[in-house]
Amino acid sequence: MENAVHKNDTFYEKELKLKSKKKSETTSTIVINALIAIFALIWIIPIVWLFVTAFSKYRGIDTAHFFPAQGWTLDNFKTVLFEPDSVVQYVAWFKNTFIIALFSCLISTAFVLMVSYTFSCMRFKGRQSMMKFSIILNMFPGVLSMIAIYFVMKQIGLTNSHLGMVIVYSAGSGLGYLICKGFMDTIPTSIREAARLDGASEFEIFFKIILPLSKPIIVYTVISSFLAPWADFVFAKLMLNSGISSDWTVAIGLYNMLGKDLKSHYFSVFCAGGLLISIPISILFILMQKYYVEGVTGGASKG
Amino acid sequence: MASNKEVHASSAGEAFVNFFKGIKAYFTDFGTAISKGDTAVKLSTVLMGAGYFARNKIVVGLLTMIYEVLFVLMCIFYAAPNLAKFGTLGTTVRSTAFDPVTMQNTVIQGDNSFLILLNSVIALFMIFVFVLTWIHNIKRQYELQLDKEKGNHINTFVEDVKSLVNGRFNITLMTLPTLGVVLMNVIPILILIAIAFTNYDQQHMPPSSLFTWVGLTNFRNLVNLSNNSAFGYAFFRVLGWTLVWAFFSTFTCFLGGIVMAKLITYRKVKFPKFWRTLFVVTIAVPQFVTLLLVRYFFGDTGIVNSICASTGITSFLQSIGLVANHLTYIPFLTHPGWAKFMIVMINIWVGVPYQMLVATGVLLNIPESQIESAKLDGANAWQIFWHITMPYVMFVEGPTLITDFVRNINNFNVIYLLTQDTFVTTNQTLANANAKEVDLLVTWLFRLTNEYYNYKMASVIGIIVFVICAVFSLIAFSKFLSGGREESYQ
Repeated sequence: MENAVHKNDTFYEKELKLKSKKKSETTSTIVINALIAIFALIWIIPIVWLFVTAFSKYRGIDTAHFFPAQGWTLDNFKTVLFEPDSVVQYVAWFKNTFIIALFSCLISTAFVLMVSYTFSCMRFKGRQSMMKFSIILNMFPGVLSMIAIYFVMKQIGLTNSHLGMVIVYSAGSGLGYLICKGFMDTIPTSIREAARLDGASEFEIFFKIILPLSKPIIVYTVISSFLAPWADFVFAKLMLNSGISSDWTVAIGLYNMLGKDLKSHYFSVFCAGGLLISIPISILFILMQKYYVEGVTGGASKG
Repeated sequence: MASNKEVHASSAGEAFVNFFKGIKAYFTDFGTAISKGDTAVKLSTVLMGAGYFARNKIVVGLLTMIYEVLFVLMCIFYAAPNLAKFGTLGTTVRSTAFDPVTMQNTVIQGDNSFLILLNSVIALFMIFVFVLTWIHNIKRQYELQLDKEKGNHINTFVEDVKSLVNGRFNITLMTLPTLGVVLMNVIPILILIAIAFTNYDQQHMPPSSLFTWVGLTNFRNLVNLSNNSAFGYAFFRVLGWTLVWAFFSTFTCFLGGIVMAKLITYRKVKFPKFWRTLFVVTIAVPQFVTLLLVRYFFGDTGIVNSICASTGITSFLQSIGLVANHLTYIPFLTHPGWAKFMIVMINIWVGVPYQMLVATGVLLNIPESQIESAKLDGANAWQIFWHITMPYVMFVEGPTLITDFVRNINNFNVIYLLTQDTFVTTNQTLANANAKEVDLLVTWLFRLTNEYYNYKMASVIGIIVFVICAVFSLIAFSKFLSGGREESYQ
């Protein structure tokens, strides 16, 4: 008898526990969903501000209202796209940045693929030491040597030129091979060996076998090297210092709009320009994000 | 994990030993080639193509001879005139003289110290490369001699060219990228190092005046802590903040990213994709747009301040002493303490979505079986997080954490875009060194060059930052390239 009662008790306790567990789970679900919503709100506020200010009739910085108080308008976009003046040369900037980004993307991608293939698929004397040396060299931040880069470019006469910018962005890109090489390392050696037995040269293996298999990482390399010039601010500011606003890139042009005397007339125009440039970049970035993770973790997550 | 660390340590040590063994072998081979080589090999120390001619490789021999002649010409017309002045960096200052013929003052161009320095560095680099190719050439000649003695096949010129797309394809592929790296990375770094030992600043600006070598003076100025040295004082302040910043920015974003990823991947969360995309959009807007925007958002007369003032937060902060009483606003980005705090907070805003993306990917790859078996053993969620999730995340992201730390030491954008033009230092000693409380070494360096033309100090700072970064990089790098990891997937 005693035993039976005891059993009953434990059963009852268990039921209670389960109920409370369920209850705590619903609370935690609510808490976590609420937390995410709050975080999302914090993260999105500046973006919303950018968005609404871009449509504001008031051109300066509205310090009292979050949403435009003086009404909404599309004029800022009109100024940005169709009414270039001494300050706003957005279309020219966009064109400049696009050309620079396009060419530096082509060169960077080619360099990265060439170096990655060499280090990943070929074995030659000095390979290890070259790899180590380049990793150390790559750790040396470009910002530090930019004065010297500036002077070298000035001697060649390439400051204030878009060719110079392309060189600055792409010439050293071979050092950024780690991610791409990590990807090529995962392509089975047997494929290459079979091709070699069939009499294919390294050149053919590179173009006909490895490149087609490396599509995802090529997409990543292309997009990330294309995006770099859009986001770069330092080198552009240093290299394109002539003061002729039609030569600038989007980044410097927009930065200039917020100068001391200009920002009270151009703040909402800045927002409109910022919004316009963000749209294509966002799309590219969202396309790229799944490779981004692999890139940063160096493919290690595959293990 | 413990055994893993040992592997890393030993491989780093081994790498060091191997490095010196490699150098020793390099010169031993060279010695053998010279002592055991025949007349043609010995002759090729002077006439580089000699060995090729002796083995009937006429075209390669001719090309090598042309290379040598070009090098000699470079030495005579480029290296020699520049290197002759390298010791002094020029002696004649630009001057004006009265020209009796044209009855006008004409400018007599003097020496340009910077050009001399630049050209000398380039020339020295070319000489260095030549010496390497020269050594390589002699070894190659000796190999050819051995091949011939053994009766091995010696490639014809056509075969040599063909091998450039096959056996020696690496040479074809690497040439252009290497040239680019030399132009953009190696030469600038060498020049930077050289300038650190000169007095190149606003008072010594070529072409109107000269600068010269000053030895270690700049380094001494920078680490000088006596009262009259603004640079010494500023350097340690800025260095301290740089390291504090790098630490906090790295870890807040790292942890924030994991927490955020955990939240979003929690199975009961509604619309996980929607939230993810929302955070990703904040990454995709370029930093210079968001950071500049946020800077005005938190400006002294910005919208956040208006809201804080009207809701009484400002006066509350004043009452507990966090905001000085004479202010009518919260100095988010204008008071040193507040600015540092806000910069770290804003950086969380910038950095967490990136880390979240990465962490989500990593978390999805955690072996499910480990978590299941831990659950069966009765582990609670917290224990699973600390004993299974975190070790795994640290294993995958550990090296990245160090690279992130280095990247944050050089995080130019966040600091510069948030504080340039708006933050003014009230500390006179810092201002004397053109520094601010919120400056990182890199932003200080940038303004020293871009606004004050103080190249000598900027270079010294650059070298020091490099040393700091190199130390951390070496740790990361011994993890990246530790043996075995590389070919484990092939």
